[in-house]
This record gives sequence, C-alpha cells and structure tokens, in this order.
Amino acid sequence: MSIMDQNGGSVIAMVGKDCVAIASDLRLGNQALGVSSNFQKIFPVTDRIYLGLPGLATDVTTLKERFRFRVNMYTIKEEREIEPETFAHLVSSTLYEHRFGPYFCEPVMAGLSKTPSGGYKPFIAATDLIGCLNFAKDFVVAGTASEKLFGVAEGLWEPDLEPEDLFETISQTLMNAVDRDAYSGWGCVVHVLTKDKVITRTLKGRMD
Amino acid sequence: MAVQFTDGVVVGADSRTTMGSYIANRVTDKLTHVHDRVYCCRSGSAADTQAVADIVHQHLQLYSQVSGAPPPVHTAASIFQKLCYENKDALSAGIIVAGWDKEVGPSVYNIPLGGGLFRQPWAIGGSGSTYVYGYCDATYKEGCGRDETVNFVKNTLALAMSRDGSSGGVIRMCVITEEGVERLFVPGNELPQFWQGSEVLPNPKGKAVPEPQVVPMVVE
Repeated sequence: MSIMDQNGGSVIAMVGKDCVAIASDLRLGNQALGVSSNFQKIFPVTDRIYLGLPGLATDVTTLKERFRFRVNMYTIKEEREIEPETFAHLVSSTLYEHRFGPYFCEPVMAGLSKTPSGGYKPFIAATDLIGCLNFAKDFVVAGTASEKLFGVAEGLWEPDLEPEDLFETISQTLMNAVDRDAYSGWGCVVHVLTKDKVITRTLKGRMD
Repeated sequence: MAVQFTDGVVVGADSRTTMGSYIANRVTDKLTHVHDRVYCCRSGSAADTQAVADIVHQHLQLYSQVSGAPPPVHTAASIFQKLCYENKDALSAGIIVAGWDKEVGPSVYNIPLGGGLFRQPWAIGGSGSTYVYGYCDATYKEGCGRDETVNFVKNTLALAMSRDGSSGGVIRMCVITEEGVERLFVPGNELPQFWQGSEVLPNPKGKAVPEPQVVPMVVE
C-alpha cells in the first residue's frame, strides 16, 4: 500500500465557457477505516484561484498553510493579486524544493486569469508530487480515484460548457468515479468559478 | 455474517469486491449455495473461497446421493474445515457456514483463517466485522424471531459498510428455514442511516458553533 493511499481522497478540475469548476470528495480515512466525512481538500487562494490538495492529509494541511504564507508574501511585495499561472509555478517550485523528500500531495488548481483586454480566461493546472506541471485544456485529475476520474471525464467532457452544464458534468464525473474507489467518497463538494461569483454546492452521495 | 433464530438462520453480506482500492465488483453475491438448506458467507481471497465452496458443493451433492438425505450443517462445516485447515499455508479464506437440518435445527459455524471450527449463535467475518463487534455484542438477544433477526443483520451490515472502505454496495440476505430459502435484497439507497458526522457539537455554553464560511484569504 502506497503512502498516497493512507488517507484517500480525489480532486478534479474542469474548464467550461468563461468558467472553471473544481470538485473533491470529503473523505478522510485511516487506510480502510473512514474517519471524517467533512475533510476539506479545496482551498481558496484568491477570489479567482482555488487549490485542490489530495494525498496524505498531514501534507494537505501543511501545504495549504505554506502556500497561504507564500501568496501573502507575494501580495505584499508585488502589491497586486497573484495570477493563476504564476501561482501554478509557485506550487511547482515549492514542491521541487523537496525533490528527494517530497510532500505526498498532487495539487490541482483552477482559476480565471486576467487577459490584457480586461476579460477573464479559464485556467486549470495540476502537478505531480515533485512539481512537474501539467497545463491541460480540458480537465485535470488527482488522488486515489484518478484513473477512474480520467475514464469518466474523457467520456463526459466536451468544450464550451456553460456554468450550469459544467456543474452537472463535473458532478457526475466525480460521483461515479469515487463510487468505484474504496478510499474516496463519503460526500462531495463542487465549486464553480465565474468572473463575478463562486457557487459552492455539497453533493449527497453514497456513504459507503 | 450469520445469525441463528428460532426457526432458522439469516445469512447476510455486503456486495463489494476490491482489488487494492479499485472496486472490481460492486454487486457481488457473497452468499453461496452449497446445499438446499446450507449456505456459506465468503470473505478473504475471492478465488480461494470460490474454489473451496465449489469443492464442498461437489462433496455435498455426492453425500446426498449416497445417503439419500440432505447433509447436516455440521457435516458441511467439517468439510470446509478440513480444506481450510489442511491448506492453511496456501489459503486466505474466512468462511461462515449456516443452515438448517432436521436433527439439530438451525446452526451457524464460523471457520476463521487458521481453519478452526466454532459453532456460535451468531458469527461475523470479513474486514468490516472489526467495526461492529461492539454493536453486535450490545444488540444480540437470544430467542428472536425472523423479522427481528433480519433487522439485526441489516443494521450490522449497514454500519460496517459505512465505516469500512472495503465494504459497501448493496445488502444481500438469505433466510434459511425448514420450508426453504428466501432471498432478500436491500439496495444502496435504502440502507439504514446512522450518524454521518457532519453535525458540529454545540459549545459548552449551549450555542451551536456556526458553520465555517469559505472565504478567500485576506489579501490587501
């Protein structure tokens, strides 16, 4: 059993038309024993960037605090909010600092980046546990149910989904993938980001 | 698990088969017929338990042809025990044998990993069983009827399926009596519900702690 399977959990992010969605399950386990059905894995970094952290729970908590510190320092020095692509590189370099003793997390990011014309472009990215960046155009997945998430997302995703349709697609992808994984599930949460608001919904799913 | 009651036994199981963390089958039938009034619950390696159950099934078919009568549950359990004990180094099989016969009535036999044979009024097994020993000890009563026993099995399985990652899916039960075998099915969305743990305890002053708001980090 790998260290990444100790606590369980999965995260997915998807791109839509002028919107992004990021979703995760809520399980925290001790190998097969489920311990909490309320364990948050997705954290807001700024108004327009959300970070999902599946993997070993202690590293989820530690990394969230490390990134909070580093983003605050960025904001103080730069006197502006960090952009999603810059934040992704910040995540990558933070993880690579521990190349030979890594954090057991595979971060997933979703956000809306400013364009020169003043609009917002959807952005998603993911890294592996040592910081290799993946800028996908459609969806990114991580966690114990990642292979199942790949399968369902590949089948259900299509480009240019409106926020309400993107919510349905990402929800079905996550719910059906975690139902095939023994270490993910126990409830799900979905955040849909558009240029002026974030809608967060908690889904009712199988609790086994 | 299997539980004896006045007129028969109730055997029950969840329906999840896992390969590591992947759920290979979410609608498995772990209650296996080895004779008309003798069923077994299989836990451990699926291949090992299926192979052993098939061999016992063959033995019992021969037994009933040769003797002209259905086999006693003790006989079926002893054949299981012989296979599990003599091949203990190679097998990973936890089996519960339960059924009804004319001489003894209902009986439940537990055959855990080493291949010992234990007759018990109720028996639980599998990875999820560890979480429900306390519930079973506290709830089991002798002299129950069919419906109370079915409820006991259903509640126990639901609790184990909720906590154990390697258990889940649907509940399958068989009620075995002199008259016959009745198969029962409880789908996943009709499982008994217990405390799910998302409520927050109120603080000692009696006021409920408010739900934490998800707000962006403070940015100047």
